[in-house]
Amino acid sequence: MSGRGLAQLSVRAVSKVFAGRNGIAEVPALTGVNLEIRSGEFLVLLGPSGCGKSTLLNLLAGFTRPTSGAVLHDGEEIGAPDKRRTVVFQEYALFPWKTVQQNVEFGLKAQGLPRREREDIAREWLSVVRLSGFEDRYPHEISGGMKQRAAIARAIAPDPEVLLMDEPFGALDAQTRVLLQEEVARISSETGKTIVFVTHSIDEAVFLGDRIVVMSSRPGRVRETHEVNLPRPRVPGVRVEKTYRELVEMLWTSLRPEWQTETGAATGTA
Amino acid sequence: MLPPRAKRLGLNLVGAAAILLAWEACAGLDIINPFLLPPPSRLLSTFGEMLGNGLLLTHAAASLERVMVGFLIAAFMGMAAGVALGWWNTASELLQPIIEALRPIPPIAWTPLAILWFGIGNAPRYFLVFVGAVFPVFVNTFAAVRGLDRTQINAALCLGAGSRLLLTDVVIPASLPIIFPGLRIALGVGWMCVVAAELIAAQSGLGYLIQQSRLLLQTQNVLTGMIAIGIIGFAMNAGMLWLERRLIPWRAAGAHP
Repeated sequence: MSGRGLAQLSVRAVSKVFAGRNGIAEVPALTGVNLEIRSGEFLVLLGPSGCGKSTLLNLLAGFTRPTSGAVLHDGEEIGAPDKRRTVVFQEYALFPWKTVQQNVEFGLKAQGLPRREREDIAREWLSVVRLSGFEDRYPHEISGGMKQRAAIARAIAPDPEVLLMDEPFGALDAQTRVLLQEEVARISSETGKTIVFVTHSIDEAVFLGDRIVVMSSRPGRVRETHEVNLPRPRVPGVRVEKTYRELVEMLWTSLRPEWQTETGAATGTA
Repeated sequence: MLPPRAKRLGLNLVGAAAILLAWEACAGLDIINPFLLPPPSRLLSTFGEMLGNGLLLTHAAASLERVMVGFLIAAFMGMAAGVALGWWNTASELLQPIIEALRPIPPIAWTPLAILWFGIGNAPRYFLVFVGAVFPVFVNTFAAVRGLDRTQINAALCLGAGSRLLLTDVVIPASLPIIFPGLRIALGVGWMCVVAAELIAAQSGLGYLIQQSRLLLQTQNVLTGMIAIGIIGFAMNAGMLWLERRLIPWRAAGAHP
């Protein structure tokens, strides 16, 4: 494992083209992306829909391969999903046939841990994400916010080096979203894991990230990068700090023109 | 006003009673020949008689044993083939056309071959049940595996699942809600096949019972056998539905994960 400060994940001159189907032209999703992610860093990929940020995350996870360029983990090319990099999905992707407890145990079961041990570890993580008492519920019996807490516990329980989060709070209501942002901020500070977090919310990006990589669409590319000079752990009070508000404002100003074209003239400037 | 459920049940009973009464009356008034179609009262007493002397149970047990053996082999092989062809494209492309060509052949058309291949013991009957039951299981399993949620597979893979855990803990349970109706249909088809098979070559079973009764001109026994086939088929379907609810509890709310 590489030490803090060294590049753990590297994206080198990566392009990704999705093959066109039935005569439809090829779709370039990413073009010439370069990115170095340090161990222990909380990196946010920020951009409008269609900017390829989820594609980039899928490349880091090993779900797809780049059309050209290379994606590396500790210098080794990423060719397939690996338990060193677990993923939290927007739509939770919990296993509906397993209870919350069994879902969290899945990665531990894959590692071949004895039942007793994985039960204890899962219960511990469920308590960290404040789901104690819901161990025996099925996913369809709990709320969206609770499902995502369970999914976070499931991803982190097998102790991965990197946690990849793909718009994890996109499907949640505003209040739940804020609460879960605070949970993730706490967990990331406590565990020190490398986190790559995809979002289209500027507030979320500034609140959580050590560094924000802003992406542009058509084709997806890295547009600018911002260091977030806010103290860790991030607590709710961070939101009223001057640095926070200035960075949010700056990102808004910078992104507004492109996002306005994205949402189309019909919605106007309101 | 009655609650809707009681009202529905009441109407069901009234309808059934009316038909039975009309049937009884027609037989009593010599409108229909009671030899060709014995009245319900006669059937009821025959049913009781055949239950009492154990004839019905012996034959039903023989049929049930055959359907269970054939069905279990079909369920196992249908699911195995469905998972294999659903998972590996090459396997599907190699074998799918043959399967699709065999599928429309009615199981009964296999009877001559079954007897030639397996002789006259129980083996040809197992085989005919198998032929009838295997396709519904295969088709549903195949569709289920093809329709698997890619994100769930990805979730399992990044959590380090090997192919064995992926199969037992993800692919099979994810497919169960679609496989199960296939199993239920398969059991129904298998039941029909066993009765048909027993009509042709058997010394026991409900199919044999009604065939034998026809030769002896015992119409009431023919109908009693038919009623037993209906009741058992109904009970098996209800049992499968119960099992389905027990084995797929997460489907209770019909909600998405």
